[in-house]
Amino acid sequence: MTGTDTQSSFLGRISIRRNQVNAMDGSHEQEIEDLDLFQKQVSDRFAEILSAPDDTPFDAFLSISWIRKLLDVFLGCEAECKAILLMGRDAAQISKPPLDRLIPELLDRVVKALDICNAIANGLELVRHCQKLAEIAVLALEQKPFGEGQSKRAKKALVSLISAMHLDDKEGSAHKTTDRNWSFGRRGGNKDRPLFGHYKSLSWQVARNWSASKQIHAMTMNVVPPRGPEASGLPSLIFIMNLIMVFVMWVLIAAIPCQERNGLTTHLPIPKNVNWTHTLTGLLEKIGDEWKKKEKKGMAGLLFEMQKMEKLGQSLIDFTDSFQYPGEKDKVEEAAKQVAELAEVCQRMEEGLGPLQMLIREVFHRLVRSRTEILDVLDQGAKSSAPLV
Amino acid sequence: MDGCQSTIPTSEGDLHVVAAAHHIVKALGATKNLSDDLRKILIDLDAHLSMITSNTDSKGGRGFVNVEERLKQAERKILSWESDPRMIWDSGPREASKYLEAVDEIQTLVDGLQGLSVHENRKQKELIHHAMSVLQMAMSRLEEELIHILVQRRQQFDPKHMTSRSTQRDVVYDESFVSVEDEPTEETSSRNCSGDEIGEYIVDLIHADVIPDIKSIAKVMFTSNYGPEFCEAFIGVRKETLEQYFAIIDTEKLSIEDVLKLEWTSMSSKMNKWTWSMKIIVRVYLANLKGHDSWLLELGEAVAMGPHQPEKLLRLLDMYETLADLLRDIDTLFSEEAGSFVRLQFHELLESLGDSSIAAFEAFRVAISSNGSLYPFPGGGVHPLNKYVMNYIRMFSEYCNTLNLLLKNQHVDVADQVIEPDNGPNLSLSTSCPMACHLRSITSSLESNLHRKSQLYKNEALQHIFLMNNIHYMVQKVKGSELRLFFGDEWIRKHNGKFQQHAKNYERATWSSVICFLKDDNPGSSSLSKQTFKERCKGFSIAFEEVYKTQTSWCIPDPQLREDLRISTSLKVVLAYRTFLGRNSAHIENKCVKHTVEHVEKFLLDLFEGSPRSLRNSRRW
Repeated sequence: MTGTDTQSSFLGRISIRRNQVNAMDGSHEQEIEDLDLFQKQVSDRFAEILSAPDDTPFDAFLSISWIRKLLDVFLGCEAECKAILLMGRDAAQISKPPLDRLIPELLDRVVKALDICNAIANGLELVRHCQKLAEIAVLALEQKPFGEGQSKRAKKALVSLISAMHLDDKEGSAHKTTDRNWSFGRRGGNKDRPLFGHYKSLSWQVARNWSASKQIHAMTMNVVPPRGPEASGLPSLIFIMNLIMVFVMWVLIAAIPCQERNGLTTHLPIPKNVNWTHTLTGLLEKIGDEWKKKEKKGMAGLLFEMQKMEKLGQSLIDFTDSFQYPGEKDKVEEAAKQVAELAEVCQRMEEGLGPLQMLIREVFHRLVRSRTEILDVLDQGAKSSAPLV
Repeated sequence: MDGCQSTIPTSEGDLHVVAAAHHIVKALGATKNLSDDLRKILIDLDAHLSMITSNTDSKGGRGFVNVEERLKQAERKILSWESDPRMIWDSGPREASKYLEAVDEIQTLVDGLQGLSVHENRKQKELIHHAMSVLQMAMSRLEEELIHILVQRRQQFDPKHMTSRSTQRDVVYDESFVSVEDEPTEETSSRNCSGDEIGEYIVDLIHADVIPDIKSIAKVMFTSNYGPEFCEAFIGVRKETLEQYFAIIDTEKLSIEDVLKLEWTSMSSKMNKWTWSMKIIVRVYLANLKGHDSWLLELGEAVAMGPHQPEKLLRLLDMYETLADLLRDIDTLFSEEAGSFVRLQFHELLESLGDSSIAAFEAFRVAISSNGSLYPFPGGGVHPLNKYVMNYIRMFSEYCNTLNLLLKNQHVDVADQVIEPDNGPNLSLSTSCPMACHLRSITSSLESNLHRKSQLYKNEALQHIFLMNNIHYMVQKVKGSELRLFFGDEWIRKHNGKFQQHAKNYERATWSSVICFLKDDNPGSSSLSKQTFKERCKGFSIAFEEVYKTQTSWCIPDPQLREDLRISTSLKVVLAYRTFLGRNSAHIENKCVKHTVEHVEKFLLDLFEGSPRSLRNSRRW
């Protein structure tokens, strides 16, 4: 993680200054300084990801590696925020108003984020499944000599792939178990129809009636920039943290298929008049536009690799549909190029999905830990209030 | 099936035979009295023979006659099933094996044809192409058959049989797991689960007779490079199967948000139900373990991918350890290629089990610290959450090695961490091993939670009683088990101090105001005036009776602790009362001194029995 160097020095700076200042008064000024520094860090880091070079297509916007970078940034910001919040403070300081309201609200949002992480983890399993299907198709299409047998094989895998990608389009109602997906009367069964209905099983769900779009909406409630005398200091810090968390969760949901994303809002409460937020706003607009475009057609999530897979998949299905041995030369050549591209996408997925899954886990653990730590500090206050005899 | 090459004539001798045959065929074809059929056969044969001889330009001749014939034959078999509505494997082992033979034949022919020469001629290409098409058809069919076999077996699982006993089991399990006595029963020990109870309704979900079928399908599919399809289908069905079982046993999936909102009682019953059903399934699968290693695969996969509910942790650890042992002895179930796939799956599974165990551990902590109560726990006794957690973590010591391995990379925030030097030569048992650190952080979360719960009491004295009881309970649990090796003496000493502090706080909160009435304002002077004495007596009586009324309904479960507190209280109160009465002995009349010292002593024994009493209406003199 490239951020760790800057991060550790940042934390170092805070603790040194905190120790100095504790000797004197003016802790509020120092707080403001910390906050400014934090804001700058956040702004810089997000600007960095936005400006990734475009010559490496697989580091493109919303690709697996881009999302990994985003999550790294999130983890960095989260650690700093927590440090500022907790370092050198006792329970009394973080329980006074308005923090007595803001902090429990933050913790509630963290819980929602945990559920979203679970949903994303399920979604990544689906993505992995798609990868496996694509690999079967590539295997078939790269066979030499290539004939109708392999063509049918590839088509079957590709059709399963496309069908799996659009899994969450009509999700939502409590479904039956998947017996009927397997009940093939051999009469009337199209041999090439997709057989892999198992992803409609319970493992896909976080819980019955859970909805990713509703969670995000709930998380955005009450995220307002602090006003007046509160505008500087800890309330502002918490606001920034809320914003980042909501934003990152939103990006994940837009990119990766998960339970019930219909009606995902494209508005997040990012204030327009603050200078460091325009990077976030820019990203939000860009992703929001893509989302609106694709939502009507039904889609598999904006993940770059999935989009590519879908496009190539559709095109190759057309190819296999019309293929007759030995096939027209230019069509075969065109298909070969696409197969090579698809193979590359699979390779990228193979390399990147594992680390991404681990990163989501890491985010999950980190949020859990931070929440516990904050709760612990709040409890220290309760514990230590018992007077000694 | 031996190599195809031996049946394609390549030698000079063979070619002579072919030429001779061709000659004969031509001669026969010239006869006049041929039947139509025979004529057709001869024409066919002629064409083939011509082809063979015309191919002698390319590398010493190729004989495709046999190849094409064999291909046609195998194809016939496969096509005949395409239009058949029945499932092959339902129609008996003979049909199944004939089908597999046909597929095998085609694969062999393809191998042979592909290995023949570098200069591919048109005929050869056509044959290969044709064979591959037929092969694909067969593979598709085999996939369907495989799924059918697996699904069919699953449908024999009788849900009624399981659920009818579930409600019974619930009650038994509930009591024994969080028993008042706190005696470890069979149920609390994950390792000693008695197979008998569960054996009654173990349904052999994976019939032994099905496995050879699956193996044979796997072999054929892997040999033909259709391994990926086999794996996807196989894993898919098994995952789905497990989800179905869970659905049948009615374990509802809850989001983390939902779980945190649960009141303790419903959370507790859900946990119990879940653990019970998990046990059933794990035992069923593990019973088949010896011969059927592969079934552990999908079980593990399904479990690992599920929500990380804390109570799952022990099961995961069970599986992790079993799996780790297994990996040492795993032998090839399938062909080489399939075998390495299986091995890879096992390793991946082990990793994901490890991940899940860590996640479950974390979720356990979250669940503990977030478990909320709306109402104070009546009587101030030991809270069920406390019992549950302490009993649960007691079992962890069995998994010490595994947990240490899994947890060593986890960063632990240990605000209450007490560092202790190694206790002995065995490093893993020291109080500084990863598991010990995590256990302490768990109890720290528990403590914090208990503090929050104590705030629900309005009465400050009861808050202290509650905390005293619960911390004492925790210390007892640690001291009385292997946990003491992980927590260490320092922790025990510190927490002893804590509950003793709460005891003192209780005394102060309760009795200072009562004893106030008995205070000696002017040490040097003589006794109080009669009027003051009367008022003081009355005040003391009322205050004492109030305490009696309230605190007889409180509870201190541990007898030793109860005794200690009574003695300590008694010393203070009785002594003060006796002194007070003694100093003012001149004023004592029967009317104004409501209770004698002996009575007070006796009444104090009624406190903390958990049954409320009142002195108001009793005429105990």
